[in-house]
Amino acid sequence: MSEAHKGARILLIEDEPQIRKLLKVTLQAHQYDLLESGTGSDGLLQASMNHPDLILLDLGLPDGPGLEVLKRIRQWSPVPVIVLTAKDREEDKIEALDSGADDYVTKPFSMGELVARIRVALRHAVGTASTEPVLRFGELTIDLAQRLVERSGNRIKLTPTEYDLLKTLALNAGKVMTQKQLLRQVWGSAHLETEGHYLRIYVGHLRKKLDDHPADPIYIATEPGIGYRFLLGEGRDAHDNR
Amino acid sequence: MQTSAANRRWRIYAATTLGIAGLTVVLMLPVLRMEPVNAALLFLFPVLLCAVYGGRAPAVFAAIAGVLAFDFFFVPPVLSFTVADLRYLISFVVYLAVALMTAGLADRLKQQVKQARQQERLTAILYGMSRSMSDVTDLPALLRAFGGGIREMSGLETVFYLPTAGGELQRHDESGRSRAADPEDPNLPVAKRAMLISEVADRGISQSMDNPVYCLPLLAEDSVHGAVSFRSREQDGWPDSEERLRLAALSDLAAGALARIKRGEEARLAQVTAESERMRATLLDSVSHELRTPLAEIIGSSSGLLESGNLFTDNEKRELLESIRNGAQRMNRLVGNLLGMVRLEGGMLKLRRDWVGADELIGAALRQLREARGSRRTVMLMPEPVPLLRGDPVLLEQMMVNIISNAIKYSPEQSVLELEVRTTDNRVLLIVRDEGIGIPSEDVSKVFDKFYRSGNAAHLTGTGLGLAISKGIAELHGGAITAGVGAGGKGTAITVELPLEQLELVDQGGEQIE
Repeated sequence: MSEAHKGARILLIEDEPQIRKLLKVTLQAHQYDLLESGTGSDGLLQASMNHPDLILLDLGLPDGPGLEVLKRIRQWSPVPVIVLTAKDREEDKIEALDSGADDYVTKPFSMGELVARIRVALRHAVGTASTEPVLRFGELTIDLAQRLVERSGNRIKLTPTEYDLLKTLALNAGKVMTQKQLLRQVWGSAHLETEGHYLRIYVGHLRKKLDDHPADPIYIATEPGIGYRFLLGEGRDAHDNR
Repeated sequence: MQTSAANRRWRIYAATTLGIAGLTVVLMLPVLRMEPVNAALLFLFPVLLCAVYGGRAPAVFAAIAGVLAFDFFFVPPVLSFTVADLRYLISFVVYLAVALMTAGLADRLKQQVKQARQQERLTAILYGMSRSMSDVTDLPALLRAFGGGIREMSGLETVFYLPTAGGELQRHDESGRSRAADPEDPNLPVAKRAMLISEVADRGISQSMDNPVYCLPLLAEDSVHGAVSFRSREQDGWPDSEERLRLAALSDLAAGALARIKRGEEARLAQVTAESERMRATLLDSVSHELRTPLAEIIGSSSGLLESGNLFTDNEKRELLESIRNGAQRMNRLVGNLLGMVRLEGGMLKLRRDWVGADELIGAALRQLREARGSRRTVMLMPEPVPLLRGDPVLLEQMMVNIISNAIKYSPEQSVLELEVRTTDNRVLLIVRDEGIGIPSEDVSKVFDKFYRSGNAAHLTGTGLGLAISKGIAELHGGAITAGVGAGGKGTAITVELPLEQLELVDQGGEQIE
């Protein structure tokens, strides 16, 4: 799977030279082709000229908010964007995700975590995950054509809402989904963010049926304050180093 | 006021006249038919009454009316003012003299009673003021006590002019309101003069004609603390000499209280300064130690790898790399806590409100601590249904991370960490128990103080910030945090108590299972 992305071109928009150096060394070691940019305006220019396969965007740039750069990119390009943020800026993360960022990584991050996120984002970008009629995650299979969910061959009975929720999470496996995104996709736009506790309750039901434990999740991990992430088998280890 | 006083006077005279007329009629009754001498004695009675109840003038009036009535109706020839026996004239004089003297005595007695009452009232006010001023501890209370007392005593309005640290005069009125003195305030120069004169050790009384205020300096302990001005609402309300003495005495009391308040504030400030000095020293101490330890780990391991990497086996290299990562993660937590503390103290934390499941919260905290946990086993006790908490998920997570990482730090490898969630009527309890070294009972109340580290934990590094921040976060959510003894009487149990908010569940159910 990841062989397909060898040589993928990544644009890094980040003002700290140390972080740029670190990412350059490690990402090149992972066979990625790295473009660097120190400012938002230069980053936008490079994004339009060099057509990167993925953009790593630091939200704290010297020449204006990174969110602005993200919104400008989204005006003309669906290229996957992973934002880099500090731990204490939850609002920024949510806003970035709701403005079209594909994922976020909190500084300081581990390389394993970052590379896993990059892989997931690239995979979703080429659309391989969504064309499969049957999704498999370890013991869990989701048959999208027949709306069947099985675990170790045993059928799991879900209500329509639970099924839609699981499907949405699983189709975006590896990616964080904000509460707003899930509410919009599962319940439709009529539901407001304030009804986030419904989401929580349905996630609770789903976890119980999947025999998943929030304290040590196999499938659905909570990102406190942000949303949920459906774990890929490989994503689990990387996820731990938050 | 004045019309009612005139009315009263009128009534006294009318009553006196009526009384004498009545008395005359009664004495004229055939049954009582009296000797004139006896009648004359009875005519003293109204005089006495008038003196007691009406004062001197009605008494004199009663005496004259009495003499006239006596002369007209009783002295022969009756029904004429003519006096046949001239000896009666002498008795008239005696009667008048007795009446006047009695009236005078009664009047003086009445005056004395009135004065005594007034004195008593003043004494009570003065006593009350002196007592309240000797135990006020802040300026507004002093202003209220003083202003209220003066108003009750003499109806004067009080304004204090007190210099600020910058030397500007500030105006404080009775209600405790203070503002910078208006340069246009006509009383300002008077107050300034009063303060100035007192510097040459003399009490000053100042007055300007168009705006009569009476100003006294506030003198205590050989220094001027400001000035106080008294103003009457009525034009003629100028204090007499006796009142001025009282005002001066009371102003001295107020000045004493002011000096005391000022001293108290200075002492408090000195204490706060000393405390923050001490805090800063502790912070520097613990932060430098807490930062240096992981830094030593990182620098030592990385330089070892760089300089003599080929001497290590792959396993050793891995160990060194892991210690670099662990050191950095520890520093990251420390920085997070330091920032959290600053924000908590600075009131900069904005609380986001969201629902978060107790299990998710503990799960997120445990994930962060997976490496630190090592071989310690975790046991979860979770009620069904899992309670939802309403609060800031990130802050609550930080709180749990701090508490659990503390439990890990002070307990041995392979021991059990017990994480229990319990609900009561209106609270959710999050309890973290460990089998570690425990907290000595005398330290239990102090472990949540900033920079406090228990005596038996001296061999382990730490800043004493983690639990303090946890406490701050719990309180921010309307909760509380306590420490106790862990399961089976050993180790520690930290209990966080958060309000259980009811969620109105509109069940969307009725959904059929596919």
